[in-house]
Amino acid sequence: MSGLVLAQFLGLSAALLGIGLFGILTRRNFILLLIAIEVAINAAVLNFVYFAGFASGPGGVSGQAAAVVVVGLAATEVAVGLAIVLALNRQRGSINVAEASTLRQ
Amino acid sequence: MVPILSILLLTLLGGTVLTFASGKQARWVALGTSIVFLFETFYLLDAYTAWPGRAGLYAVPQYSFSESYAWISLPWLHINYTVGVDGISLILILLTAFLQIATVVYCWTETNRPAAWFGLVLLTCLGSIGVFIALDILLFFLFWEATLIPMFFMIGYWGGPKRRYAALKFFVYTHVASIVMLVALLAVAFYAHAASFDFADIFVATHSPGFPIVTQALLFLALFFGFGVKFPIVPFHTWLPDAHVEAPTGGSVLLAGLLLKLGGYGLIRWAVEVLPQGLAHTSWIVYAVAFASIVWGSVLSLSQRDLKRMVAYSSINHMGIVLLAIAVYSSLGLLAAVLLMFAHGVVSGLLFMASGSVHHSFGTRDIASLHGITPKAPVLATMIMVGSLASLGLPALISFPAEFAALLATWDRLGYWVVVPLLILVVTAGFYLWMMQRVLFGPPQNVPEKAHDLDVYETAGMAILVALIILYGVLPGFLVNVIVNSPVYGFP
Amino acid sequence: MGAFDTLFQWAFLVPLFPLVGFVIVGFFGDRMKKAEYGGWVAVVLSGLAMFVGILIAIGEALSPGTYTDASYTWLNLPGTQSVFSNGFSLVMGTLVDPISALMLVVVNVVGFLVMLYSIAYMHHDQGLPRYYAELSLFLVAMNGLVLSDNLLEFFLFWELVGVCSYFLIGFYYEKPSAASAAKEAFLVTRVGDVLFLLGIFLYFATYATSGGGAGWAASGFKFTNGNTPFLGSLVGSASSPTLTIAGLMMLAGAAGKSAQFPLDVWLPDAMEGPTTVSALIHAATMVAAGVYLLVVVSLFLGFTADDRLAIVAVGGFTTIWAASMALVNTDIKRVVAYSTISQLGYMVLAVGAGFAMVGLYHLFTHAFFKALLFLAAGSVIHAVGTQDLLKMGGLRKSMRVTWIAFFVGAMSLSGIPPFAGFWSKDDVLASVYSQVGAHPLYWPFLLCAFATVFLTAYYIFRAWFLAFDGDGSRDASLPHAHEAPWAMRLPLIVLSGLALVAGLFAFVPSFANLLPGAGVPPTYGTTDLMLSATSVGLGFGGLGLAYLMWGNGRVFTLPADSPLQPFRTVLLRRYYVKDAYDWFGLKAVYGLSRAADFVDQYVIDGTVRGIERAFSQLSDAGRRLQTGVVSDYAAYVVSGLVGLLVFLLWIAPWLVRSVGGG
Repeated sequence: MSGLVLAQFLGLSAALLGIGLFGILTRRNFILLLIAIEVAINAAVLNFVYFAGFASGPGGVSGQAAAVVVVGLAATEVAVGLAIVLALNRQRGSINVAEASTLRQ
Repeated sequence: MVPILSILLLTLLGGTVLTFASGKQARWVALGTSIVFLFETFYLLDAYTAWPGRAGLYAVPQYSFSESYAWISLPWLHINYTVGVDGISLILILLTAFLQIATVVYCWTETNRPAAWFGLVLLTCLGSIGVFIALDILLFFLFWEATLIPMFFMIGYWGGPKRRYAALKFFVYTHVASIVMLVALLAVAFYAHAASFDFADIFVATHSPGFPIVTQALLFLALFFGFGVKFPIVPFHTWLPDAHVEAPTGGSVLLAGLLLKLGGYGLIRWAVEVLPQGLAHTSWIVYAVAFASIVWGSVLSLSQRDLKRMVAYSSINHMGIVLLAIAVYSSLGLLAAVLLMFAHGVVSGLLFMASGSVHHSFGTRDIASLHGITPKAPVLATMIMVGSLASLGLPALISFPAEFAALLATWDRLGYWVVVPLLILVVTAGFYLWMMQRVLFGPPQNVPEKAHDLDVYETAGMAILVALIILYGVLPGFLVNVIVNSPVYGFP
Repeated sequence: MGAFDTLFQWAFLVPLFPLVGFVIVGFFGDRMKKAEYGGWVAVVLSGLAMFVGILIAIGEALSPGTYTDASYTWLNLPGTQSVFSNGFSLVMGTLVDPISALMLVVVNVVGFLVMLYSIAYMHHDQGLPRYYAELSLFLVAMNGLVLSDNLLEFFLFWELVGVCSYFLIGFYYEKPSAASAAKEAFLVTRVGDVLFLLGIFLYFATYATSGGGAGWAASGFKFTNGNTPFLGSLVGSASSPTLTIAGLMMLAGAAGKSAQFPLDVWLPDAMEGPTTVSALIHAATMVAAGVYLLVVVSLFLGFTADDRLAIVAVGGFTTIWAASMALVNTDIKRVVAYSTISQLGYMVLAVGAGFAMVGLYHLFTHAFFKALLFLAAGSVIHAVGTQDLLKMGGLRKSMRVTWIAFFVGAMSLSGIPPFAGFWSKDDVLASVYSQVGAHPLYWPFLLCAFATVFLTAYYIFRAWFLAFDGDGSRDASLPHAHEAPWAMRLPLIVLSGLALVAGLFAFVPSFANLLPGAGVPPTYGTTDLMLSATSVGLGFGGLGLAYLMWGNGRVFTLPADSPLQPFRTVLLRRYYVKDAYDWFGLKAVYGLSRAADFVDQYVIDGTVRGIERAFSQLSDAGRRLQTGVVSDYAAYVVSGLVGLLVFLLWIAPWLVRSVGGG
């Protein structure tokens, strides 16, 4: 594959990262925030996959392995995140992250 | 050979752990540990034979009962568990043993979390003993810091109304100083290219001709600051009165009796012995600080209204004399410094106990509002009197031989400058006598109904110290002969 | 080896007996059935000490010599490079020689009599065990001081007698004035003591160096420096600035202890203690320790010429200084106290002029007649319950023994023959006179001493007439006076006898060995007769004036508008010296301390708190960034990431390029 193709792939993941970051910075709803984080993570996962494809030898395998690990990680993170969302909702009746600022005190 | 020093440490360590774990019976465990420890110390003193002498001023010092085990060994870093004692450490270990037992007895009726209290008392002593026997930089630092934590909690939990402020001030002050000290010690080891962190290796390295004088002088000053804050030296002394005022009585006793001595011991062992050239080239700074501490401490004591504050400032004065005796850099001065540290440990311990009892019994330590406590509390008054007279340097009590030697050493090196500490002795006598006139004598006023004399435990705790004050005042030879048997006796 | 060395080696018993008394009475006195039992224990033990002391004195009188037993090494100190090269040992021991034997007699005879007297005098008081314990401890320290064989040991006991004096002045500690007087006495003598310590350093450094590095034991520091101390000759002609200063420091120490100008303020105030204490400590023994120090130093170490002039000046001036203040005082004890200061001045004067033995001679006689005066005054106070002379009167009928005893003391003090004081005071004056030819600067001080003879006779007889003459108590409120019980009368009678004959001891062949050369004035002959006549004439003059002004007839009184009245105020205010000292202590030193405290709290600790505040404000500013909102943190992370990328991609390469290219 040529460099041009790689650039297009990287452009895709950059776009995904941008969308994710935009979501993280602007959303106040915890669930939307989690989704945005997932999008951003997927940008990183995609990168692993591309580079594994371009690389030859053991490097390629480890790239794919890393992608799998990150996917697993993202899943656990969502699990924990949703648990927090539930707890937050039960305690405050709202899942607006701007209101959950008790840490400041 | 029996690893007696490790046994000493393990005794205290085991005692501390047991005390923490033993709930209401903690005081018995603490007392038992203290007694066993005292007898071990006696054994140590008995077994300590004459130091064989020294080839020359720059020969590597030898230590008795020394043990050394590799702890961390990397190609570029050697840290060992190395311990050993000489006459100086032994005297201070003896002081620790006596103060520990006196404090435990004095605090016998402590009801507020007794297990934690007695555990912390033992832990403080454990740390001090470690400092006195450690001969490796890291080990030394470890024990040095270990004394900080129990004292922080003693002040912070059992202390007076402003205890949090005082505890934090104490901690920050001494901790900043310890960091400077640690960095300086490591710098000594690395700049001098010492083979390991062991005292002997550092000693060899710093006494090699290639070690630049300027480096030595700068490192000495850093160490002087690091140890000096513990003394404390003017102008880094303001933590001491605050800490004493807020500390519980037992905490004050250990703080004045032991923790201040760590500064003096550290300065002798890790700064003066290691960097004699550093001291020689900065001695005027040390003299100036010593004179300032002597004058400042004594003059300020005069206007203090709180008994404990007064004793705290007089500690600054006495430790100033210790510093002066160290700074003159002679065997006589060294002897005087160590003797005076022992004396001050015992005497200030007694005075802080007495202040605590005054507060306990009469509800205040304010000198201006206490009048004529003698009829109500004759034993307590006697204790205050003995402590004050000892502190102002009355012959036949423990401080006199020490102060005599210190002033003689000062005369020997500085000539008529000795007039400054001599005349300050009059001021010292003045504030103690004035305090006694107001607090002990005169018609009783504002004496609360519930005021009472010492209970049997308080009396016993103080009696131990009074006995030491008189015994070693009349027969100072016991202590002197031990101190003289030490490698640093080779001072000029 | 002397003939009596076996006796002298038991000299340590003299301090040991009172020490036993101290321990018994001090620790078990409270548990005895009656408080007096403890008193009797102390009396018996001090009697034993007196017995041994007299035996030693007899031994020295028959076979004078120096016996030392320096066997206990108190401290072994390491040497230093500069002065004390080989290290040195501080050895403690006993030294028996003629002068210490003489002092043993003085201390223990007066001590025993005062103890006995106290049984009756003090029996109303609370805290008797404490009293006897402290008095016994004083005797331990005083005997130890007398038997010391080096200056450091001397200093050690010197401080201990000082602290005993502190306790005993403050015996009635619930009286604010007593507590204050005790503090004042300790503090003023402390000034002398630290200077004394400096003097010890100076002697030590001088002699340890010139002694060839052999250190303390072989230095000129010990009292037995191969000199024969009882010949009364001055040692050496050594003179160096250091030695002069050292001698002045000895003078300072002696001035503190013996209440010489300008450290004399404490002694009149020390009269707050029981009268017995005044008699023993503040008249006969402890205050004489200063003179004894000067005697010892002049015999063993020697004073330089400048030192001697200073000593003469201090002693001579003190005689008239103190006597003048006694002229107007109306407190019977204070009058006697001023006379003590004044008489100590005579002793110091004699020692300064180079006649140590003459000074010691006056010390010896003075101890007896002054203790007598105090005990007689005590008897009066015991009877009438006041110390104010103006309230007394007419006591001679009811208190015959006391009346005569006080008279004997007063005659002796005034230097009227044949009483003891005459012989020694005459000796002092003649000795100093023999030196004024060589040292014209001594003249004014000799004149002071002569003038004081007149004043002394006047003020002491004024007191005598005021107390015992007249037709009954001037103040009807006072209780009817009665003669004292036997335990008080007996010491008065014994001391009266001694005050009569003690002066003659210097002429008794064997006993004179204890005071070699003191009995014979240096200007024996017509000159001496003239001097004696002058001083006796002055004494009678003072007596006569006192009779005219205060005797039965009251022939002459000072009118209320006399131009002398302002002086009266000055004298009663003690020349404002005490006020000046009080100002110095309370305003100057204490004010300085308050100012320093302010600096300590607001400048030094203020800086510390300022640093603390700066840090907490910094962290306050940092705290604003911590909103607690997750999105804000995310924004920080992203902006950090962007910043890092910008740095790595553009700034860092630019830096590398510009540095590398430059």
